[in-house]
Amino acid sequence: MSEMTAPAVHAAADRQVFARQRAAIDASARLPVLGFFAGAVFWLLVGTALALLASIKLHNPEFLDSAPWLTFGRVRPAHLNTMAYGWASQAGLGVLLWLMARLARAELCHTRLLIVSVAVWNVGMLAGTIGILAGESTSIEWLEFPPFAPPFFAIAFALIAVSAMVTFRNRRECHVYVTQWYLIGAVFWFPWLYTAANLLLLYTPVSGVSQASINWWYAHNVLGLWLTPIGLGAVYYLLPKVLGRPIYSYQLSLLGFWSLALFYNWAGVHHLIGGPLPAWLITLSIVGSGMMVIPVITVAINHHMTVVGNFRQLRYSPTLRFIVFGAMSYTVVSVQGALQSLRTVNEVTHFTHYTVAHAHLGVYAFFTMIMFGSIYYIVPRLTGWEWASGRLISFHFWTTAVGVALYFLALTFGGWWQGLEMNNADVPFLTIVQKTLPYLRARSAAGLLMAAGHLAFAVLFTLNLLHFGERRSGPTLFVERPQEADLALTVEPAGS
Amino acid sequence: MTLAYLVIFASFLLFGLSVVLALAWALSNGQMKNFERGATAIFDPDEPIGIATDSFPSTRWHAERFEGPLNE
Repeated sequence: MSEMTAPAVHAAADRQVFARQRAAIDASARLPVLGFFAGAVFWLLVGTALALLASIKLHNPEFLDSAPWLTFGRVRPAHLNTMAYGWASQAGLGVLLWLMARLARAELCHTRLLIVSVAVWNVGMLAGTIGILAGESTSIEWLEFPPFAPPFFAIAFALIAVSAMVTFRNRRECHVYVTQWYLIGAVFWFPWLYTAANLLLLYTPVSGVSQASINWWYAHNVLGLWLTPIGLGAVYYLLPKVLGRPIYSYQLSLLGFWSLALFYNWAGVHHLIGGPLPAWLITLSIVGSGMMVIPVITVAINHHMTVVGNFRQLRYSPTLRFIVFGAMSYTVVSVQGALQSLRTVNEVTHFTHYTVAHAHLGVYAFFTMIMFGSIYYIVPRLTGWEWASGRLISFHFWTTAVGVALYFLALTFGGWWQGLEMNNADVPFLTIVQKTLPYLRARSAAGLLMAAGHLAFAVLFTLNLLHFGERRSGPTLFVERPQEADLALTVEPAGS
Repeated sequence: MTLAYLVIFASFLLFGLSVVLALAWALSNGQMKNFERGATAIFDPDEPIGIATDSFPSTRWHAERFEGPLNE
């Protein structure tokens, strides 16, 4: 491994060839990827406003209760869907397409189709969100958009899949890096999940408890087989790139991917523990949830050991700070999820705020933080313009990190206590509701912190697009180059 | 309804088959060999191992330590 440990010295001409190749790839991805990011940032702000509204209504029910479209029953699903499909999915799509082109070392294909898909996706978002707020929600969690909205996403995704797979087909790099496995998985899994669930729940609905099992098979897999592969794929690329250090164990990373592919799909029905479903089905999903410990531990070991020795880099790199936070949250949320699927634990946590804390640990502390980090890395390479303010990025990090930590702690403890009390028949239900109020207020405070961070992020993104401030010499691709000796990176893989 | 079940069943089969084919292709194509080369596939002469490619902009540390554009 010795040839890998020292920074290799290459001829300037060699370097130029690869620098130009990267610049050409980034140029090809510029419009569609920035389009998805712009859509994502817009829906992040809309989703945040809806989240704050829903959160405040839980402890102040009379807050803005005069208009039907602002009632909790509409605002809450509108928040979930704008965040899941408007923010998370679009940010994920931008990252997926850019990574696919970078890893294939080939320009992004069919970019005009992608620009059309950005427009179609966002028209679907707008129609669906207005539909929910107008009272047309389907009441199926994670699929609340009225039946006229899903075809927009299906069409947009078909175009995206064509572009991603043709880019992969045109690859110049013969090795399929672990990130690409995750991305290809996501490109195949999501349309399958989405069309199957919509077909069986909205267009030709199955009857009875089958609806619930399909509902939770889908909802759980959106996180596990759509957002998780993109998030982990981004970490497997960005962590080594930012640190200039290969991943600790490549074998483990592949084991992590294939075990995720094998086990995750079984886990969703654990959402229905205690429900009127066949016991074997629920037991099977609990076993699947337990087996998830394998990919989680492989990923946790790999990420931790790759960063070991370089933790001080967290002081400097916005990307690293966000993705390390996200990667650590992935370990916590996954182990918590496996434990939560046990019947004895679930008896307490089911139907409480504890589950809400768990969901936000997954989609926010894990996935969203990784997307923030990825966007901080990708956007300057697309716009050729650096971020306007390191301090504002720092503000974004601390408000969101402290916000989601407060959110998680308040609802986890409040929810656990709530579950214990609800299992006690001697405690009146209203007493429990009243005692949850401090935790719900803490949630709103946490939400305000995160909202402040999102505003800072939106300002930074807009300023970058507008090329605000002083121009630095040369493209970002070339400017961002540390002096090797000053950085004194630990480059030797910890396992060698 | 029958059509929906057919579509789902066919997609299950296709999905399973595609995973098996992907794994078979990866094995026959040598993707599971030479892991060391695989782990370093994302680096190149311009962004080699040992070089960090990101840093907080606008900090004194950044200003002091970052060199100019490559092509100057």
